Amino acid sequence: MAAAAIQLHGIHKTYPGRGAVPPVHALRGIDLEVDSGAVFCILGPNGAGKTTLIAILAGLLYHDEGRGYVCGFEISRNRRRIREVVNFASGHSNLPDNFTVDETLNYFGMLYGLAKSKRSRQTERLTEFFELGAYRKIPFNQLSTGLKQRLALAKSLINDPRMLFLDEPTVGLDPKVSRLIRERLKELNRTRQTTLILTTHQMDEAEQMSDRIGFLRDGRFIRIASAAQLKRSVRLQERITIRGRNLGMAVDRLQGIAGVSCTLLSDRQMNCQVDSREQRLHSILQSLLQAGAWIEDISIAQATLGDVFVKLAEPSDSD
Amino acid sequence: MSNLQSHLIRINAFFFKIWLITKKRVFHLFEILFWPAIGLVSVGLLTRFLHLDGDMVAFVLIGVIALSIVQIGQLDISYVILYSIWNKSLKQELAAPVSMFHLIAGSWCMGLIHALLVLFLLSAFSAYAFGFRLLQQGIIPIIHFFCGLLLTSAAVGIFVCALAFRFGGRAHVGANSIVSVMILLSGIYYPVEVLPRPLQMVSAILPVTYFLEYFRSFYGFSAGATGHPLVLGYVLAILYVTAAAGALLVAVHDSKKSGILLKMSE
Repeated sequence: MAAAAIQLHGIHKTYPGRGAVPPVHALRGIDLEVDSGAVFCILGPNGAGKTTLIAILAGLLYHDEGRGYVCGFEISRNRRRIREVVNFASGHSNLPDNFTVDETLNYFGMLYGLAKSKRSRQTERLTEFFELGAYRKIPFNQLSTGLKQRLALAKSLINDPRMLFLDEPTVGLDPKVSRLIRERLKELNRTRQTTLILTTHQMDEAEQMSDRIGFLRDGRFIRIASAAQLKRSVRLQERITIRGRNLGMAVDRLQGIAGVSCTLLSDRQMNCQVDSREQRLHSILQSLLQAGAWIEDISIAQATLGDVFVKLAEPSDSD
Repeated sequence: MSNLQSHLIRINAFFFKIWLITKKRVFHLFEILFWPAIGLVSVGLLTRFLHLDGDMVAFVLIGVIALSIVQIGQLDISYVILYSIWNKSLKQELAAPVSMFHLIAGSWCMGLIHALLVLFLLSAFSAYAFGFRLLQQGIIPIIHFFCGLLLTSAAVGIFVCALAFRFGGRAHVGANSIVSVMILLSGIYYPVEVLPRPLQMVSAILPVTYFLEYFRSFYGFSAGATGHPLVLGYVLAILYVTAAAGALLVAVHDSKKSGILLKMSE
């Protein structure tokens, strides 16, 4: 069984108020366990506490209550040790603006206490890994957004971290650069067993990258599961679209099936909302055939992670 | 690699950072060389206009050179933080396992080099243009004078860093204000005895006052009431460095508690 890379129990964080601004209770008792070498994605609406949680884990923000371990180090007492073995990159990263790519990597290598020979090796490796070789003498403020982000990620790997925090790493990037970055991160996770903790608003990214997803709302994890489990756990209606002939003849029969609500769009097309495709599809087809309908095509729209996001982001009845 | 080597590399990181800033930002080089030169030339010409004798010229120019050393010495320490705040890269840099000690030590080393450069340039220019030779009193007095001023500059720079963690990029106003207070109260251009009594009491707790008294005593001016200005200057400067370091550590802690550190990088 993999060792836990992160163990958190009852983490609370409140940002103090100032003047007319009231205090903000950003985290309200976070419990979390992430295995070493896993890819864990934190989803949640804006203001849910994602960045706050990552900042606490990366040692950039102090929590108020609770206890936790990152890479085996206690988060209140071993912040320096934690910072030695983790690193982070965020979307729209800012780095010293007139340092070139090489100077930036050299500077951050020094901040991590790396000897000159290792800094040189890492600079070579990372510029190649993120395809920055042609831009090594270009200052940060003259790089495109995609190149800046690639440099920020290269910087975040300078110390060969055991755990990497990624706060919206592909925000604002075009699909090609986003894909390159995702491929590189997945490769890193596969070859070096680097634990990745990711926040994103891109559902496809969350689904492709992560082993598990934690859904954070109002400072609490309300669901932690794989993408597939999340989709199953939220009872979202699926839509079955049927095309054919004589569909109108089956409407009355279909309305009699529990968990099914059908709307006839024309005599040749019908939409049915179902609570469970697995349980209702057979009954729907049987009713259609018994009513004398001729079926030409069926398409089923499954719930996406985006649907899950919208559903979970809504305040529940108990709120 | 030993632990000591690792610490030295981290200190060197901040030395390297200030070196790059100096190399790449003309404005920084301008601040280091231009204002001290302007100050020396304008005050030097004023001494000519007023027909001051050699000792009085020495009195005033020692003050100008001292002010420049403090100003330049503190600038690099202040900029090591302010530059990151202006770039919004502070979060990225402090995510690394570095401490304020690494940060201050590295930038102070560069401050030392810049301050030495200023000392030599101003000494050479004042000798050439105004006949005042700073180095004529021998090497020991100048080393004490320089070290005392450099310690003072460290206290100012560290305090500005503490302000930066509380008020962000606006903290550079603090640097200018502190140096302006020194001009007023430390006897840069005049003896502190000309100040009103309450202000003299304030000047008595400023280390620059004593380092100026010490060095001017070689030119026939009073060494002050205590007779041990160097000891007093060092004690006060070390006290201020310690207090400023404490204020910085508290400010860093508070910025991580309140989230200001994150906000400064957004």
